[in-house]
Amino acid sequence: MSAAIETEGLTRRFGRRLAVDAVSMTVPDQAVYGFLGRNGAGKTTTLKMILGLIRPSDGRARVCGIDVGRDRIGAARKVGALLEAHGFYVNLTGRENLSLTAILLDVPAGEIDRVLEVVEMRADSGRRVSDYSLGMRQRLGLARAMLGAPPVLILDEPTNGLDPDGIADMRRFLKSLPARTGATVLLSSHLLGEIEQTATHIGIVNEGRLVLEGELSRLKADLAPEIALRTSNDTQAGELLRARDLVSARASDGLTVRLPLGQNADQAAAGLNKTLVEAGLSVFAIGPRERSLEDIYRQVATPAAQTQPEIA
Amino acid sequence: MLAVLSVEVRKLNRSLAIVLAMAAPGLIAFFMFFNMLRGRAPHPWEMWTQMSIGIWAFFMLPMSVTALTALAAHMEHGPRAWDHLRALPVARWKIYTAKALCVLAVVAAMSVLNLLLTIGAVKGVVAIKPALAPTGVLNLAALALLIGKVVLASILMIAIQLWTALRFASFVPALTIGIGGTFFSVVATSAKQGVFFPWQMPVNVLAREDWRADTALALGGGLGALVAILAIVHLARREVL
Repeated sequence: MSAAIETEGLTRRFGRRLAVDAVSMTVPDQAVYGFLGRNGAGKTTTLKMILGLIRPSDGRARVCGIDVGRDRIGAARKVGALLEAHGFYVNLTGRENLSLTAILLDVPAGEIDRVLEVVEMRADSGRRVSDYSLGMRQRLGLARAMLGAPPVLILDEPTNGLDPDGIADMRRFLKSLPARTGATVLLSSHLLGEIEQTATHIGIVNEGRLVLEGELSRLKADLAPEIALRTSNDTQAGELLRARDLVSARASDGLTVRLPLGQNADQAAAGLNKTLVEAGLSVFAIGPRERSLEDIYRQVATPAAQTQPEIA
Repeated sequence: MLAVLSVEVRKLNRSLAIVLAMAAPGLIAFFMFFNMLRGRAPHPWEMWTQMSIGIWAFFMLPMSVTALTALAAHMEHGPRAWDHLRALPVARWKIYTAKALCVLAVVAAMSVLNLLLTIGAVKGVVAIKPALAPTGVLNLAALALLIGKVVLASILMIAIQLWTALRFASFVPALTIGIGGTFFSVVATSAKQGVFFPWQMPVNVLAREDWRADTALALGGGLGALVAILAIVHLARREVL
């Protein structure tokens, strides 16, 4: 699979502060790439360098093989972007706002109707943007990013301000984009659930460094299996598990037991159940715990001080 | 470049720029109307037109440029549109050049409107008090040339104001410079050194001494064009964080 976006050692300093530290990321063609990190981790700065909005202190970024530093305009032709600040002129209607960008992109006026149709904004396009809700502005921003059908879409926090239905619609929409339009989507967010339900690939940035990157399903499969259990005495259960060389951690509703990589979770659960019952404990619930993006994220991005304390 | 310019003009649609463009010359015409109406004897056309262009050049033009450049810049600063604009596959210098040309065109249009409204005000007074009908001829060609020189001499002031307004997201620096410049333009109108002061260059075009008019025109227009080019280059190259 070829890369729609590639960065090599992308670095950016603001004075003494290192905002982005040698980020080398690869966004495969037609992927929905979730770019994760907490606020201030360096996501937006990285995106701005990819868009040519700010210059890297070191390293380079390529969009569809075009070096952004050498040919910003050439690279920009391949990208549509939805940025955190929409930049709409509120005195103009939604359609007029799109028309300004369409003129600058030199795309035919028919393109405006097409993108309005895609985001289901055609009926409201004649209203001034000052009358739009945040969700409508977000959809209009997405429509504007799609003008001219660019092969790469860069979306910074696209579900910001959307209501629950809007978020669900946006997720479905983003997920279907590569299949419908052939576009690659680079999606930045600090919401794990949003990325988990949308992305095919992820990159996690922590304190300016890309700490993990890969195909989401593969990353999940590579995690050690876990068992969740709830007993009448979790402290005693933890001691029993430690005696069997198993590491457990206290969760909000019981214990989580991490198994060695490759161990069958069902068989391990059955064995643990037997041990706990034989020790006189009541087992209220036990079973394999599905690994989530949050598990992956916590492993690579959470500072040691914030991890759940291990009890065994 | 035409596409970028047309986008810049379209952005003004339903904005306050039109109100400003009408209000500033309208206020001068309003003043001229009542000032003339209270007179008892007729005066030459030249006096009325010189008075109108003089008020425009030394006070209302600097104030209008301050307001107009702040408004033009705030159209992008307000909704934080720079990221979107600067990420597009368009050379950034074109975006800033279009904005500068647009401001210059509105200033020129306001200067012409000022003259037209003044003529309208004078004719309005004559309709009420025919005895006050101005003497002499109304030399429109000479007036057009004079207005052209005033606008040309204002380019340095426009370049400084526009750069400040575009450079700083807050409108305070641009307003402070504009109000300060206009203040000194008003309180030191007759100062000889005023010809070297950007905010006084337009009014110095009306000076009786040729050297002052020529210097104001050369500095305001020539240096102004150079400063405008440097401002555009700087704005296009700088990062908007």
